[in-house]
Amino acid sequence: MDLFLHLWIMILIYTIFAMSLNLEVGYTGLFNFGHVAFFGIGAYTSALLTLHQVPFELAFAAALIAAGLSGFFLSIPSLRLRGDYFGIATLGFGEIIRMIFQNEVWLTKGPMGLPGIPKPVLFSCRFATLPQYLLLTLGFAILTFLVLRFIIRSPLGRIFKAIREDEVASTALGKNVFHFRIKSFVIGSVFAGLAGTLWGHYITFISPGDFTLLETILVLLIVVLGGKGTEWGPVLGAIVLIFFQESLRFLRLPAEWAHYLAPLQQMIFGGLLVLLMIFRPEGILREKGKSTDVGTKRCQ
Amino acid sequence: MSFILQSIFNGLLAGCIYALFAMGLTLIYGVLNFVNFAHGELIMWGAYSLYLFMEKPFHLPLPVALIPSLSLTILLGMGMDRFTFKPLRQANRLTLLIAALGLSFLLRNGAQFFWGAELRTYGFQIRRGWRILNMSITPNQIAIILTTLICIMIVYLLFHRSRLGKSMRAVSDNLELARVVGIHTKRAIQFAWIISSSLACIGGILLALDTNLQPGMGLINLVKAFAATLLGGVGNLWGALLGGIVIGLAENLGVLVISTGYKDAIAFGIMVLLLLLKPSTLYGAQE
Amino acid sequence: MLELNGVNKSFGGIQAVSHCTLNTKEYKISGLIGPNGSGKTTLFNLVTGFIPPDHGEIHFQGKRIDGLLPHEVAIRGIVRTFQITRILPKMTVLENMLIAPPHQTGEKFGSLWFKQKAVKKEEGENRKKALELIDLVRLSHLKDQFAENLSYGQQKLLELARGLMADPKMILLDEPTAGINPIMIKTIMELILKMKEWGMFFFIIEHNMDVVIELCEWVFVLDNGEKIAEGRPREIQNDPRVIEAYLGV
Repeated sequence: MDLFLHLWIMILIYTIFAMSLNLEVGYTGLFNFGHVAFFGIGAYTSALLTLHQVPFELAFAAALIAAGLSGFFLSIPSLRLRGDYFGIATLGFGEIIRMIFQNEVWLTKGPMGLPGIPKPVLFSCRFATLPQYLLLTLGFAILTFLVLRFIIRSPLGRIFKAIREDEVASTALGKNVFHFRIKSFVIGSVFAGLAGTLWGHYITFISPGDFTLLETILVLLIVVLGGKGTEWGPVLGAIVLIFFQESLRFLRLPAEWAHYLAPLQQMIFGGLLVLLMIFRPEGILREKGKSTDVGTKRCQ
Repeated sequence: MSFILQSIFNGLLAGCIYALFAMGLTLIYGVLNFVNFAHGELIMWGAYSLYLFMEKPFHLPLPVALIPSLSLTILLGMGMDRFTFKPLRQANRLTLLIAALGLSFLLRNGAQFFWGAELRTYGFQIRRGWRILNMSITPNQIAIILTTLICIMIVYLLFHRSRLGKSMRAVSDNLELARVVGIHTKRAIQFAWIISSSLACIGGILLALDTNLQPGMGLINLVKAFAATLLGGVGNLWGALLGGIVIGLAENLGVLVISTGYKDAIAFGIMVLLLLLKPSTLYGAQE
Repeated sequence: MLELNGVNKSFGGIQAVSHCTLNTKEYKISGLIGPNGSGKTTLFNLVTGFIPPDHGEIHFQGKRIDGLLPHEVAIRGIVRTFQITRILPKMTVLENMLIAPPHQTGEKFGSLWFKQKAVKKEEGENRKKALELIDLVRLSHLKDQFAENLSYGQQKLLELARGLMADPKMILLDEPTAGINPIMIKTIMELILKMKEWGMFFFIIEHNMDVVIELCEWVFVLDNGEKIAEGRPREIQNDPRVIEAYLGV
């Protein structure tokens, strides 16, 4: 039962993480390969504040703001770039953030990490046990899903898609592509921070080694496997991949195997990404040719 | 004062290595018009392949081991193209980059699978160097400089004096036109991969000689190579050379003022500065 | 309406546009013709801000627009189409249309949450207008199709309709009838004439002289980046310099 709850908590956290990346990559066409940075910023901000007796509600808000602001400051110099350049810039940023977590020992305790992160207390409700935490993550996952869906189906979301499809045409129609890209990136960063916060308080011990390229690859894989640019794609992808990832952990294999198993599993992720791009880049769920503007819902 | 001189020397040294990385990266960019996100892993596998052939069961001495090591890396580079990038030549850019990223992750963990995550070295004795102008210069370091110069010379000759080099330049200018005009684009592309992989391999070996080997060394060197490429103008081979040197110098002079933990971040910082200062050259809409 | 004054643009060593001075005045439909490579599309790019001129000034409705970014030019009321259509492939025909209106309330993040009523109202109005325009170009049956599934001619119509949807003061059409069958050409011409009645200004790059004669009140001729003639279509047709330019003598 515990395993079941753990699995679903992880799936829900990664769903939020993936939905945030889907907004950027799937809907706006931004090549963000450093999304883990905002996940980590959310986790560290909330952890550090709550460890210093700041109430969870405030720490949580601060984490979201920190993630969003970082996204904002990264995007200003880099979002004018062509796709691949932006990709490398975000990739580099992910590494830099990890370096900061590692080096600023006075703040983050460096490689030793932050143990004993307290359980969240939201408006006097404590979410300490597994079922309670599941409820918490479920709540946030649903919230994220609805909020992002609302944005995607709005005129703003339409512009994100237009930019993805053809930024020249969008510019020629009077849309300030740069501004809209920043908007998308910041929103995505905020929700990544949300996922990171939930994760940190669940795991209760975080260290710089938790926020590496692996996380970026995993969340990217989730988004493209499930079907980027679709509403349910990230959910589906998270279920499939997190199930795969976590299940290996519980197979109770001999310890010596672990040495080989981790890189092997990650090789599979990498290989899967390559095969997916060659043979089925749209992923499992495809974008449907249906109209998504706000005004039609009643008419249908 | 001698401290600064030493830093400059170290910077030039590192710069040589980064120049090799950057030249390999920018070559592929020039010919195939994309940033090879797996270039760092070519570097890394180049370094590890030498290790492979020098350790058991091969136990080949350094110069001899270079041959299978280079061959392996070249095979890897050509394999990358044949099995991942070629099928995606017509795909959209995002798909290509994600595949490259996935490939890099696959290769990185492949190395970890075989050799584990611990740091390794080639195990050469650190030989005493000479003191010139109050700087310490070891034979290893001389080797790095010489090797780089030789590589640059070879690349120059290949690029500007050979037919294959000419066809590479034509392909990098306009792939379709080159094909139509009858230039053997396939061979030009293969040749580009051979050179790019060789430069990565040699650069990786030199780096590992100077520092150490670990499976994750690819990523940060990719970022540095890219920063150097950007500095020198993307697609510009000699610019990449210059950019590499600048990055090397900046890193080694930079640690005189900032914490060594962020040494690797200097290249990134330079890149960000560059982007802030001249974004106009990189504005995507002018396609 | 649209005025260029001494505009120059060169790329590397090639002078794409030189000393271009023209004024569309109050002519509702102006034409821009010239042999291939004479700089017509470059001119459009200069006007719409995609490339900055080396020298010279560009004015629209009396205000200076050279040096503005493309989206800023569009906001000033100049919309354009492209030689190779730039419809948004993985978005429906209707969505393609709904992108066009400028200053939509729903584009602002804050308004999405706090002005939902206004957004819905605007969406409804835009939708109505979009459906009317889609009907005008006879693409109603395809309104929920991804634009990439349309035929080339249909895509051109869509791009035109989308341009009109943006409610511009002037619309620049880059070879609107290129590669289109005669029936579609007729549809496009009818649409343009109808829009002219509604007060829209047009500046059209065209190779099809029948279309130019039928639609344009005034025509400018470019050759090698220079304006070599201007006048009424019939006069231009018979102008020896123009004939020479096209024959490449």
